[in-house]
Amino acid sequence: MPLDTSTYSLALLRLDGRRWNELRRLTAQISTQVAADGSSYLEMGNTKVMCTVAGPSEAKGAGGVRLGNDRADIRVSISIAGFSGVDRKKSGRNDKRLMEMQHTIASAFAQNLFTKLYPHSTISLSIHVLSQDGSLLAACINACTIALIDAGVPMHDYICACTAGSTSSYSSNDETADPLLDLNTMEEQELPFLTVATMGESDSVSVLIMETKVQVGRLEGMLAVGVDGCKQVRAILDGVARARGTKMLEGSRM
Amino acid sequence: MPREVEPSVNERQFFEKALAENLRLDGRAFDQFRDLELSFGDEFGVADVRLGKTRIHTNISAEVTTPYPDKPFDGLFTITTELSPMTSPHYETSRPSDPEILLSRILEKNLRRSQALDTESLCLIAGHKVWSVRADVHILSHDGNLIDASCISVLAALQHFRKPDTSSEGENVTVYTLEERDPVPLSLLHFPYCVTFSFYPSTVEEGETVILLDSTLLEEQLREGSATIGINKDGELCQIAKLGGISVDAVAFLGCVQVALARVKEISTFVIKRLAEDAKKRDKGDLMAELRAENDR
Amino acid sequence: MASTRTSTFVLPGDRLDPASLPSHPTLPLKLGPGLRHIPPNTITPTVAGQLCTDKRKNAVWVEFNGGRYIPTTGDLVIATIQNSAVDIFYASVSDYAPKATLPQLSFEGATKKTRPQLSFGALVYARVTHANKHMDPELECVSQSTGKSEGLGPLTGGMVFDISLGMARRLMLPKPVEQGALVILDELGGQGVAFEIAVGRNGKVWVNSNSVKGTIAIGRAIQETDEKALKIEEQRKLAKKVAREI
Repeated sequence: MPLDTSTYSLALLRLDGRRWNELRRLTAQISTQVAADGSSYLEMGNTKVMCTVAGPSEAKGAGGVRLGNDRADIRVSISIAGFSGVDRKKSGRNDKRLMEMQHTIASAFAQNLFTKLYPHSTISLSIHVLSQDGSLLAACINACTIALIDAGVPMHDYICACTAGSTSSYSSNDETADPLLDLNTMEEQELPFLTVATMGESDSVSVLIMETKVQVGRLEGMLAVGVDGCKQVRAILDGVARARGTKMLEGSRM
Repeated sequence: MPREVEPSVNERQFFEKALAENLRLDGRAFDQFRDLELSFGDEFGVADVRLGKTRIHTNISAEVTTPYPDKPFDGLFTITTELSPMTSPHYETSRPSDPEILLSRILEKNLRRSQALDTESLCLIAGHKVWSVRADVHILSHDGNLIDASCISVLAALQHFRKPDTSSEGENVTVYTLEERDPVPLSLLHFPYCVTFSFYPSTVEEGETVILLDSTLLEEQLREGSATIGINKDGELCQIAKLGGISVDAVAFLGCVQVALARVKEISTFVIKRLAEDAKKRDKGDLMAELRAENDR
Repeated sequence: MASTRTSTFVLPGDRLDPASLPSHPTLPLKLGPGLRHIPPNTITPTVAGQLCTDKRKNAVWVEFNGGRYIPTTGDLVIATIQNSAVDIFYASVSDYAPKATLPQLSFEGATKKTRPQLSFGALVYARVTHANKHMDPELECVSQSTGKSEGLGPLTGGMVFDISLGMARRLMLPKPVEQGALVILDELGGQGVAFEIAVGRNGKVWVNSNSVKGTIAIGRAIQETDEKALKIEEQRKLAKKVAREI
C-alpha cells in the first residue's frame, strides 16, 4: 500500500517521507546539447526526461505557395527507452498512449508559442524518456518548456505541469481525504490522480488529464493542489532559466 | 487522399461575430444539446444513435475464448472504432488518423479502464474459458460531437445486449442457444457517459473563453480547444481529457464538470426510458401468452 | 416559356411513353440533362427525377436533385480560394474534387500591375468558363464581353450556407415563384427584411444583412425550406415568423 495508511494518519508522511503538498526534487539543466537549437534535461524525482528542439525550420512543402499555413507546425515525438521502467519493455511508435501524449504536448504549445511569427515552418520537439517514476507527461511538458526557452522561440508564458492525487479511494466520499502533490509510480497505480498543466502563475489550465475514477467532490481539492504545485514548478524552472541567462551575460561581458 | 476541407474566412469571421453576440449558427443556446434519438435493432446489442446529423451505429457481439495469461479471471472487452470514408471523404480506412486515435483512446479510458463492464463476470472457467465481448462502433455520418454520441451508443448497446446462457460442470462449459434458454444481460457496474466542451477565445472580454456544448462539424473545425469529461450519474468522474488547446480558468472548468454531471443524469434517464420501451415491444407476454391456442383471427 | 413539370416520375432505364414527349412541326426534339438517345428511336432517362417538357422550344429534360455538383459552362458558383500560383488562383468549387483555376487577371479592373489580393479561405462569386470531363474547371470573375464584373468577384462579410443542388437550381430560375414554387425570398423582402444574397449552383448560398441574427435567420429559413420541402403557404408562414424574430 503506497500510503501505508496506518502511519499516514499518524504522521501524515508518505512512504518516501514527503508531506501531502511537497514536490519531489525537481532539477533541470538547460542547453545540454550544443548541437540542437534548444535542449534540456529534467528530473522530477526519479523520472528523467531529455528534450531537444529543432526549429523553426522550413517545411518541406510541395511547389506553389500553400496559402493555408500561416502559422508554424509543431511536431512532437516521444521515445521511451526500454530500460526506463521496472521491466524492460520496448514501446513501439504507434502506441496509442504515446500518440495521445504527443498530440497533447503539440496542442498545448501550439496555443502558447507565437506560431504566427513563423509561417510555413516546423518546430520539432524530440523527447527521450530515460527513467519513469510517475508524472511522465508532466515531466515531458516541463522539459519542453525549458528546451523551447533555450531555443529562443517566443512564447506567452511558461507551461508548467505536475500531478495531483487523492488519498480517498474512489467509492468513499471521505471528507477528510487529503489531496496529494506529485505522485510516483506506486502512488499512481493505486490512487486516483490527474495531470494538470497551467500557464505560468495564472490559474488558467492548459492541459488536464485524468484517467482514474474519483468522486466529483474530490476534484476541486486535487485541482487546487495541482495548480499550486504548478506555480512551485514555475518558480524552479524560472530560476534555472535565469541562472543560464546570467551566465550568458557574464560570458559575453568578458 | 483528399485533405480536410477548411472553413472559409467569411465563415470564420461570421462565427466569431455570432459568438460575441451570444448566437450560435443553428439557433441553439450555448449549453443546449441537439435532439438525441436512440433506436435499437431487432437483434440484441444493436443501437443506433442520432445527435443532429451525426449518426452512430454500434454492434455488440460475444464469443467464448481463452483469457490473457496474466489475467486468468477477467474476460475480454474490446471497442473498435473505424472512421471510414463513409463518415467523411478525407478519412482513410487503413491509416488511423489523429482524431480516430483520440476517439478510440477516450472511449477506451471511459469504458474499459473504468470497468463499466464487469470483466470478472465474463469469466466461465478461470484460466481457460472466458467471454470476449466486442463493441464495433460504426460512424455513419460526422456532424460533430462524435465522442458523446459514440459513448451513448456503446453503453446503450451494452445494456441492450443479451449473451447466451451458460452452465459449467468442472472443465466443460455448455453454451445454450437462444431457443434452449433465454439469453442473459451483461453485468454493467455503472454507466459513464461523456460530455464534450469546445472552447473559443472571447473577443468581448480579454482572457475569457467561450464554452459551447455539442458542437457541429463547423464549430469543431473553428474551435481552439476542447475537453471531454466522462462521469456517471452518481457523480463519479471516470476521466477528464483536456489535451492541450486554449487554456481555461480552473474555476470555469469546475463549472463545466457540474454541467456535465447534470447532462449525464438526463442522458441516463433517456436511455433507460428507451430501453424500457424496447423491452415492452419485445415482450410478447410471459409463458401463459406463449401457450395460448387462440389465433389472432 | 411554357415549360411544364409533369407528374411523371422516371427512373433510369424507364421506357418513356411517346405521348409524354412534346412534338413540333418544325423544330427537332431537344434532349436536356438526364436523358439519353439510343438510335434509332429510343429515349431513356439516366437519372431518377421528374420529367419536364417545354412545348415552345420542343425540349424535354429530367429535373433531378443530385448529390455532387458537376461543373458546367456558364454556371454561377461560389468558390473558396485555396492556393495561388503565378498568375492564377486555385479555388475549390466542390469539396474533395480537383480545384478550379481562376486567372488573376479576370477580375474587374485588374491589370498586370494591380492584381486582386485574395487570401486563403476568401469567397468569390464566379462563372464557370471551361468545364469538361478531361480538364480541371476554369472560372472567371468578370464578364468576357463587357469587361465588367456584374456582381461577380470577392464576397466580403456575410455567411455561406449549404443547400441541396435542386434548391440552388430553383433559386436561380428566372421565375422562381411559378416554376420553382419558391416564395420564401420574396416574402422575406416583402416583410421588410433587408439582405443581400448570392446563390451558387454548387449548393452554396451567401447571405449578408446588417445584423448577425438576421443573417442566421435568413440562411436557416432557406435551409429549412430545402430540407423540409415546404409548400408556398408554409413558406409564407415561415417568412412571417422570421421577420418577427429580426
